[in-house]
Amino acid sequence: MGIRRPDFAEFYREAKDECLFAVLVSVGDRDTAQDLVAEAFARAWASWPKVSRHPAPAAWVVRTALNAGVSRWRRRRREVPVPDLSLVADQPAAGGVAGDSVDPRIMAALLRLPARQRQVVALRLFLDLDTERTAQVLGIAPGTVQAHLGRAMAALRDELVPTWQENQS
Amino acid sequence: MNDDELIMVLREQRGRVPMTVPVEEIISRGHAVRARRRVPGVTAAVGTAAVAAVAVSVALPASHPAASHPAAGHPVAGHPVASHPAGGPGVQLTAWTVTRQADGTIKVTFREATDAAGLQRTLRADGVPASVTFTGEQNPACQPYTSSGAAFKPFGSETGPLGGDSRNPQGAYDSPYALVIDPAALPKGAGLQIWTSGTPGAADNFQLNVSLVRVSPQCTGS
Repeated sequence: MGIRRPDFAEFYREAKDECLFAVLVSVGDRDTAQDLVAEAFARAWASWPKVSRHPAPAAWVVRTALNAGVSRWRRRRREVPVPDLSLVADQPAAGGVAGDSVDPRIMAALLRLPARQRQVVALRLFLDLDTERTAQVLGIAPGTVQAHLGRAMAALRDELVPTWQENQS
Repeated sequence: MNDDELIMVLREQRGRVPMTVPVEEIISRGHAVRARRRVPGVTAAVGTAAVAAVAVSVALPASHPAASHPAAGHPVAGHPVASHPAGGPGVQLTAWTVTRQADGTIKVTFREATDAAGLQRTLRADGVPASVTFTGEQNPACQPYTSSGAAFKPFGSETGPLGGDSRNPQGAYDSPYALVIDPAALPKGAGLQIWTSGTPGAADNFQLNVSLVRVSPQCTGS
């Protein structure tokens, strides 16, 4: 018996939130992230016979979403919006990146990382891809993935851990 | 708090931002994607610039087809031809066109990802250390060129409009892509790697990637 592949609706239901979060961490804006992910899932649906056989369909979606984001970014003449971290920290609701129950300090710390480190964190930690797959998705060497992840973890640790320790004391 | 605990706390966040678009809307958009693919020439187009360019400032925007036919009426099909000198006419190929521009930059316009060897040969002849593969895999002999992001900017620039709008990027699939290279602005010891990933023939998942690599005989030919 072969491996059962999920139908598209099942895949969407199970993967949509983690894909959104991975893209959100990369692009820093919830509305943009949701639109990019929706478009990527739409493309996945249009190519579902192929995408469903992909070893990591969620990674396919995230990569497609990020690529669509790059295209938009170029079309807008590189006018890349910089996330307003004060909004993240002070107004966690109202559709900002810190909407719902996301810890605004964590999101702010993630958004302060350089873009490539954010992408690596998104794929490695939030999409659970291994180093090799992350390297393939980003088109960089596995060692570079590890280096970015190490720097990102160090930066997050430096920023978040003291705050948590203060709160506990 | 150790790294494992930090990772656990970070991962707890990912389920807290729900994707609110219903699956019916996704499928509706999927129908639109399929409709776009039925546009003649769509499936042969090279897809969007890919992941490496997320951080690298190499531009691969689309240009309108009419703007990339300098030798209109005299297309050369299937025969890679060396680029022309500054000011001279470019040579249009079915797959790609290489044109040396008056300012010394080199414009590569892609229509199909075929004849990688011909493109690689042409770029090298124009002074660009390059590795080109259209097999879906990178040249394993190439090593990334590590540098600051600013070093990447000089050799790529955006040209030409892209049809469609940000929410309906239809033009991304029926226009060729152009890459402008300034050989003089390449960092010392760096060359270009151009490769594809994704599924050939699937316009929305067929990516054209460009990145800086270290020059070497096995990778860039010099």
